[in-house]
Amino acid sequence: MSSAQSGSVATRPYVDPTPLPDNIPKVQELGVSSAPLKSAAFFIGAYCKEYNEDFMLCKSENRDPSHCLKEGRRVTRCATDLINKMRENCLSQFQEHWDCLEKNNQEYYLCRKPERTLNACMFEKLGLTKTIPSAPAGKTPVHELEKPLFKAIQK
Amino acid sequence: MSAPFKQDMPPPGGFEAVKYKRNLPFRGPGALVFLGGALLVSGFGFYRYGQGVLEKRELQREKVWSRIHLVPLLLAEGDRDAYRRREAAVAREREIMKDVEGWEAGKSVYNNAKYATPSIAIL
Repeated sequence: MSSAQSGSVATRPYVDPTPLPDNIPKVQELGVSSAPLKSAAFFIGAYCKEYNEDFMLCKSENRDPSHCLKEGRRVTRCATDLINKMRENCLSQFQEHWDCLEKNNQEYYLCRKPERTLNACMFEKLGLTKTIPSAPAGKTPVHELEKPLFKAIQK
Repeated sequence: MSAPFKQDMPPPGGFEAVKYKRNLPFRGPGALVFLGGALLVSGFGFYRYGQGVLEKRELQREKVWSRIHLVPLLLAEGDRDAYRRREAAVAREREIMKDVEGWEAGKSVYNNAKYATPSIAIL
């Protein structure tokens, strides 16, 4: 690294500072940590379905990182768009849910109460619903159970 | 001589009834009750366990799909970073080896066009 460092042994690994080549369009990375991502995962899956599937199909053609840069930018832009919309419309519910996830080992089943308010808000404002693919048909999905067997012991 | 005759008779009111019945006081519920009770309790337990297995399976499905939905996003970000580092490494190699004739910077060590993850990664 070009910056001055004290001591003979670097305390952090060397990170290549070279930016992307100029012929690649720049995209702002999402920069969202794990709990908000987990909170928004099903909405990202619903909102960005086409882009995600396009990207994964492209990856199955060729695993080379340079092969799917364009599709990858679309995926990131779509996710950024969704997170911005969530922050505009359902900020308090979103924040409450991912805060709960962060405090509960990122387990969905311990955070059903804030999750339900978030889901209701997302459906009302953005028309997005949380659906779990390939769940058994004709049964209440696990995130809508009134009396689940697995729940927090302390209320 | 004959003694005055006296017939031996039962006591007035008759003899009391012969006590031939066994005296067995009630000693609590029987074996079948206990067996049935144990079967009921453990049957309920097995039922709850089965319900728990089904619910746990759905919870696992939910968790897995939340991760699957995030795969393209994270993979895209990682790909951009890998591409950037690869380009930088190739540029460095080209600069270092510019005096060597016939050197192709960034050429694969395999005689195969298929992409192979680089075995040496510069962070």
